[in-house]
Amino acid sequence: TSSDMAATSQMLFIIGLFLLPVLAYGDTCLAPVVKSETYSTPEAIVSTDTVLIAEFTLTCKNNLKNINLYADIGGRTIPATKSIEQNKYQISISDEHKKLPPGSYEIRVFDEEGFAALRKAQRSGESTESLKPLFTITLNHPGIWSGPLVQSEFVAAMTAIIVWWLAYTARGKLLS
Amino acid sequence: MKHWLASLILAFVCALPSLGEEESGARLLVSKNILNQYLVEGRDLTVEYKIFNVGSRVAFDVVLNENSFPEASFGVVSGNLKVTWERIAPNSNVTHAIILKPLKPGYYNFTAAEVSYVTSEESSERTIGYTSFPGEGGIVPQRDFDRRFSPHVLDWLVFAFMTLPSLGIPFLLWYSSKSKYDQPKAKKN
Repeated sequence: TSSDMAATSQMLFIIGLFLLPVLAYGDTCLAPVVKSETYSTPEAIVSTDTVLIAEFTLTCKNNLKNINLYADIGGRTIPATKSIEQNKYQISISDEHKKLPPGSYEIRVFDEEGFAALRKAQRSGESTESLKPLFTITLNHPGIWSGPLVQSEFVAAMTAIIVWWLAYTARGKLLS
Repeated sequence: MKHWLASLILAFVCALPSLGEEESGARLLVSKNILNQYLVEGRDLTVEYKIFNVGSRVAFDVVLNENSFPEASFGVVSGNLKVTWERIAPNSNVTHAIILKPLKPGYYNFTAAEVSYVTSEESSERTIGYTSFPGEGGIVPQRDFDRRFSPHVLDWLVFAFMTLPSLGIPFLLWYSSKSKYDQPKAKKN
């Protein structure tokens, strides 16, 4: 009867609503496992700019491969570069030494959905702090070594001058 | 900063003659730069790539392939030599960096890396281009670099030790005669 059919179609609709989140999760990475390695410029001779690199591999429990990822680091939003190898990504930032001071950098990695939310928040001027990333990588930048604090030649010269001065004043006292 | 400005001016100059002739599409210009002040054997070498899309359409499936550094002469410290971006929007750029370590000293000619992309998602024809090449550079052997730049602390300590005789012997002579002179004075009291 038509009422039976209406009831069945209603049931199917409700079941469909419950299934929807399950189907949608197919695109999101579940239980992401991240292995990361970071690099930051150690000394000034090696690079005229400070370069921060984070390489990581991502494993999703639901076996998603090579999904698009985006990183938010220090206010910059960039897409994560994909390596030819599967599920391997790299994020590289380079800027003047002053603009990347030593410290701990939090790299928040978003998937497509998270990135869309991030862009929306940025466009409307809202704070992006509250958005939850897929995962976070911490990059420790110990800072650039631009040479020893005091040149060893300077120390040697100062020591020689001090020894000479001690001898000179002692001689002066003896002669007086 | 100077490099990307130079490549942007170059792009503009190259595009001028063909303005109005060609169909506008995706066009990638890639600059490859060595960011080192000195190239030293055994010390990190920073290579930076900047890809600019100066065309008016999206570039799809961009692959940057760096195979101009033989494994025997350069070890990879950080970064991937073969990377890809799904899309680069027009009038935007992406940056990539790798860190290498030169294993052998001497002159090395830094050549270009290869870039390939497709101008539309359905097209199977890949456009192949090359990055700018940094040119020839000299990798200084470690010993020569240290001779010029290391703090030489050990050398200075050895030098100080060697000056001790010429300072110490007269001082000891004076001190021994001074103490002999002082002693009789003390005995008198």
